Amino acid sequence: MVGIRVDIRKRYYRKNDDKKRGIEPAFTLDAKFDAGNELVVLFGRSGCGKTTTLQCIAGLLEPNGGKITVNGKVYFDCHKRINLPVQQRSLGYVFQNYALFPHMDVKKNIAYGLKGLSKDEKRTRVQEMLHLLHIEGLEDNYPAQLSGGQKQRVALARALAPKPDILLLDEPFSALDMVVRMKLREMIRQIQRELNITILFITHNHVEAFTIADKVIIFHNGSVQQTGTPEEVFYHPNNSHVAELVGLSNIFEDAIVHEDKEMHKTLMLKCGDLQVVANKPENKLTKRVSWGIRPENLLILPLQGNCCIQGENLFHAHVKSVVNKGASKVLVLKIAEHRRLLMAEIANHPFEEMEIETGDECLAKIQRNKIVIF
Amino acid sequence: MMEQIWFPLLITLQIAIISTITVGVVGIFISYILARRDFRGKWFADVLVTLPLVLPPTVTGYLLVIILGREGIIGATLYNMTGRTILFTWEAAVIAAFIVSLPLMVKTTTAAIEAVDRDLEYAAYTLGRKELETALFITLPLAKKGVLAGVVLSFARAVGEFGATLMVAGNIPGKTNTMAISIYSAFQTGNDELAGLLVIILVAISLLSMAATAKLLSSWKI
Repeated sequence: MVGIRVDIRKRYYRKNDDKKRGIEPAFTLDAKFDAGNELVVLFGRSGCGKTTTLQCIAGLLEPNGGKITVNGKVYFDCHKRINLPVQQRSLGYVFQNYALFPHMDVKKNIAYGLKGLSKDEKRTRVQEMLHLLHIEGLEDNYPAQLSGGQKQRVALARALAPKPDILLLDEPFSALDMVVRMKLREMIRQIQRELNITILFITHNHVEAFTIADKVIIFHNGSVQQTGTPEEVFYHPNNSHVAELVGLSNIFEDAIVHEDKEMHKTLMLKCGDLQVVANKPENKLTKRVSWGIRPENLLILPLQGNCCIQGENLFHAHVKSVVNKGASKVLVLKIAEHRRLLMAEIANHPFEEMEIETGDECLAKIQRNKIVIF
Repeated sequence: MMEQIWFPLLITLQIAIISTITVGVVGIFISYILARRDFRGKWFADVLVTLPLVLPPTVTGYLLVIILGREGIIGATLYNMTGRTILFTWEAAVIAAFIVSLPLMVKTTTAAIEAVDRDLEYAAYTLGRKELETALFITLPLAKKGVLAGVVLSFARAVGEFGATLMVAGNIPGKTNTMAISIYSAFQTGNDELAGLLVIILVAISLLSMAATAKLLSSWKI
């Protein structure tokens, strides 16, 4: 089988003797997923178990149970008592802080993982890697002389030089600036296509997850919540944890579903005294659901005169604060009669035209076709 | 007079150099284990190594006399094997210097190894390098400033060692009279000229080794 198959558990206790005393572990990781030769993003908040999973795959940590296989080779099997040492696993690992050896120059760093090759073969391989990562000319520099982006390219070159079966990247670009990060995202996609290996990429940035992933695995509180293409998880989250992670900031849990017999394509969602009309999804719904809407899908309309508020999913709102996000503004709104807070994101230009300030009143429209039910 | 200067100088350097080389090798090994491994009774190992640092040298010396004596664990074994005792020989002075300077080596080296980013070691493992290789070519080169500091402190301590040495090796002229001990006995017997000369030499050795260390350190970038 090509690719990786992971099904592991790891328990963490607050104190060493908690296990003996039968106290529940403080954190339990339960990770199960598989992936082929594709770019897989492990996505979730910090402390959700992404890095632990990666370290278990690498062999830097030992899981308490389960199995890990890469390209048909068993790395870990609790039942058969197999736990391959890190050195015998064919993998490349890239750390967030690059972890370049500060006392070696770039070519020595890249060649460090090459064993059993002649000097000439090593030199050729180093040149290939410099070329692949577009860092020709840097080979005699020391890590301290490189920029963040260059360091990360060297780290990638070093990890890829021994031709690993799988590449593991732990938040590799989070310390880099926007422009460099975007270039490196493109590069990592290109490398995946060129080398055709499995790449596991950890991030907590949903834009990053969306732009590079072939497949996204969403972690929350130690377990895998959802697996799918970026489109699947971003547009069809299967629970409120996933929804929140992928940027649906406005979430209403535990809404009662009222299906209108005459109207086949619509339904009512009642959450306390807040009631909205939504499009009926294709899959069957339970009686109680959660729903949400992205801040950018909330329409803001200026209040015109004293005209009464009428219209589907239209609410009278009070602007509590305006947060500048650069190209757009985020408005924190309070729906007058429901005491609910909503977040709306508007591009700068339309926002300026509306002349809305903190403390003003406005109208908020929840577009029914943008409502996500899960 | 020359003999009274040359012999203490040479025996002191001989004792200090042998002790420092041994302390360096053993100390690096112990420090690596203390910094990178978790095991039962680690705190006890730590306390045991550090103890000579807080004990008065005469106490350390007394305990060594018990252990190295003909009735002691080590002394008895050695006597059965070789038919001679180690007490009141220059080798005993090496052991005393080793024991009192080991904590200085271990404390500084452990701190230096702990300060090396573990991710660098993990990176080496993922690149297929064994732990020993990684320790020798990644960890230690990056901790070398701390290791050097430990070696220099240990050497200085060995050169200046007095109390424990006097207990285990005595003050036998032409055999175990080190610089520090010779200065004391010259002073006691009113030979101020000899004491002064020995003091000047000892200060010179200290200054030279400090200067050499500073020069070496300034040539290291990392």
